Amino acid sequence: MSPSLILTLHALLFLLLFSVCLFGFIIIRRLVLERSQALFRRVYGQIEKDVLEAIYRLDPDFSLAVARKHKGQAGALTQVLLDFGDNIVGDGRDQLRIIFNHSVRGHCVRRLESRRTAKRLQSIRLFIIFFDPSENAFLFRLLDDKPIIKLAVITALSRFPSAETLSYIFTAFEKDTGFTVQAYFNVMFSLGDRIEQSVKKCMMRPLPVDKLGLLVELIGAIPLRNLAEDVVALAGHPDKEIRIRVARTLGKLLIPETADTLVRLASDEAWEVKAQAVKSLGKLKNMGALDILTQSLFSPFWYVRHNAGHGLAEMGEEGLRRLRKVAGQEEDKYARDMSEMVLNDLIFPGEAA
Amino acid sequence: MGDMFHLLLHAFSILILAYFFLINAFYLLFIVLSLFGLFRHRELTRFVSFKEVFRLPLVKPISVIAPAHNEEKTIVESVRALLSLEYPVFEVIVVNDGSSDRTLDKLISSFELERSRWVFRKVVAHQPVKGIYKSRAYPKLVVVDKVNGKKADALNAGLNISRYPLFCAVDSDSLLEKDALLKMVRPFLEDPEKTVAAGGIIRLANGCTVEGGQVLEVRLPRNALARFQIIEYFRAFLGGRIGLGMLKSMLIVSGAFGLFRKDVALQCGGYRTGTIGEDMDLIVRMRRHLHNMKRPYEIRFIPDPICWTEAPETLRTLSRQRNRWHRGLLDTLLYNKAMLFNPRYGVTGLFAMPFYFVFEMLGPFIELLGYLIFAVCIALGLLNHWFAVLFFLVAVVLGTLLSLLSLLLGEYSSERYPRLKDILILTLYSLFENILYRQWLTFVRIIAFIDFYKGKEEWGAMHKKGFAQAR
Repeated sequence: MSPSLILTLHALLFLLLFSVCLFGFIIIRRLVLERSQALFRRVYGQIEKDVLEAIYRLDPDFSLAVARKHKGQAGALTQVLLDFGDNIVGDGRDQLRIIFNHSVRGHCVRRLESRRTAKRLQSIRLFIIFFDPSENAFLFRLLDDKPIIKLAVITALSRFPSAETLSYIFTAFEKDTGFTVQAYFNVMFSLGDRIEQSVKKCMMRPLPVDKLGLLVELIGAIPLRNLAEDVVALAGHPDKEIRIRVARTLGKLLIPETADTLVRLASDEAWEVKAQAVKSLGKLKNMGALDILTQSLFSPFWYVRHNAGHGLAEMGEEGLRRLRKVAGQEEDKYARDMSEMVLNDLIFPGEAA
Repeated sequence: MGDMFHLLLHAFSILILAYFFLINAFYLLFIVLSLFGLFRHRELTRFVSFKEVFRLPLVKPISVIAPAHNEEKTIVESVRALLSLEYPVFEVIVVNDGSSDRTLDKLISSFELERSRWVFRKVVAHQPVKGIYKSRAYPKLVVVDKVNGKKADALNAGLNISRYPLFCAVDSDSLLEKDALLKMVRPFLEDPEKTVAAGGIIRLANGCTVEGGQVLEVRLPRNALARFQIIEYFRAFLGGRIGLGMLKSMLIVSGAFGLFRKDVALQCGGYRTGTIGEDMDLIVRMRRHLHNMKRPYEIRFIPDPICWTEAPETLRTLSRQRNRWHRGLLDTLLYNKAMLFNPRYGVTGLFAMPFYFVFEMLGPFIELLGYLIFAVCIALGLLNHWFAVLFFLVAVVLGTLLSLLSLLLGEYSSERYPRLKDILILTLYSLFENILYRQWLTFVRIIAFIDFYKGKEEWGAMHKKGFAQAR
């Protein structure tokens, strides 16, 4: 036999063997997985039944007994606690906390040191659900972990917003970069108007445009009306993105005194800012803005015309009268078509872009 | 003369062997990378509730654009599925691209559509719009009726009419899973500046039970061709695109299901109407544009949002589809040939484009050359018969191994088939796929090459059974 023949034969045998092993692995893995899933479902069902009874009885002794009974089945019990913990509040959750503290708590603490992110995350989620403020320091240690873990910890901290935890959250927001910045927005949003002073302080510091923009959005989303002046102060910001957000936020805060700022933004050099400003003016229903909205219907930019038209429609009878008037003129076909479309849209439900 | 012939034969043999080893090495590398990618994705998403997106105040609204041409059998079910998607704010724009059947009539009667005085910006060119329809009952739905201009043209019309900053291009004969948009939007939330496009998994609905626009029961089809295609899709999406995505070399986001940033697509001039491979073309031009602008960007492949589509079940329809795909690939690669081996375009110019050029575009010719040289060598007695048989078997087993590895990836993702019997059947089919089906596909792609040079621009009619019968 020639060397090339021997080599090919060996290659074939190796590939065949590897393929057969791989096939065997797929089949065996599937069988094992199905079996273990069936077992898990059975155990889960038993634990679920006991946990439900504990929630129904609201008897701490019974909950303690459930914890002791299922302590050995940490995997299934952890899953039950995760599934129920997210949906049960009040006294029911107290029973779940008893079960957690007397069964898998130690297991979860150990898993927080695990090298696998999934395990650390699962444990942190349980700590988030059954959070005890006295454990702040314990969670702070995890603030140097991966971004996803850090965010989970910050979410936990946000459940009990003391001055200390707020300071941690905002310090982390200022320091962090990348995709997690958006996630901070959601954490801060969930804190509501408690973060007013923290946002105000944060805005005074030199921040990159994306973070400053997020804070402006946040003021509108919550909404934090006391910070309207701080938002208005940014109306002349050199970055277009900030001015767009200022215009949008003022449309959410709906403070009549900010109408002048919006009218100024409706004449901004960037069409994106104009479009957002006329939309907000419409929401504000400020009759003094009727002229600028009508003029904006003749803008060369589609979005400005579109939002101006919808803004006029929100102004009530006078706005509609102006829309009809523009729809009846022939000099500017684009303004006419847009007015007709907005009037037509009043029949079909829709919203401004 | 004889020496020269032998020298040439020898040189070609080496070239083909090198091609054989290289292509399989790359596929193996992609699969290994995919395995890592899948594990990482699974780990990060295990504890994420996608419904949380509903609570996020910063989530971007999406325009779903579905071009439709002669889709009367599936259109109503597909639009219902699109309307029932779970996402905070979205609109569904169905573009009836000059259908000659009852597509528009069915849409009007099923969704109580009325003609609307819609005004839109014509940022990108397309064939004239005959009418825009809206529905009081389904406020999210907009139906555009336009003169036929092929898929890219219909997508451009949809782009002009869409109102939201992200758009999702879907085939109107496909079904999106309810949470597909929620899963797909994740990279756009995580990194809104850099992420410009994202693609999801395409799975075949043949054999599955479909009800109310959703796949209720996943089953293997009875049709052999559809089974071969299931293995191909596993390899392409789980084995290929995740790996290519990790190497930042993904050049295709499937036209059946892709999410894009509208501003970037419009900066590139929207879809190029002169091509039939509009999906790949858009991604390559996006990459080109962003590299030229020196803007950092990400094009991501997300392995869990699923779009179900119907695979061709006859040789004729399948050959038409593959002919079209290959012509689209040729057109895109040649149109953007300036990017080939061009270091200015980074990994796209130095790896992705050359990879597609050598292994996808020229691949069929190299494979054909390989079969011819194999035959000539055997006929001239230059090749030991045993070696020929063994080498052929190595090629078949290696192909099967790659398919098996893709099946393994399916097992680790949410794309697996539920019955154990299905793995056995797919393994058998992955073995036979390398014997006749693969050679037939090589032949189809060579014909596509010839058609491309003849200037054929036909889309090729696709006869579909419709999901109701997809059992």
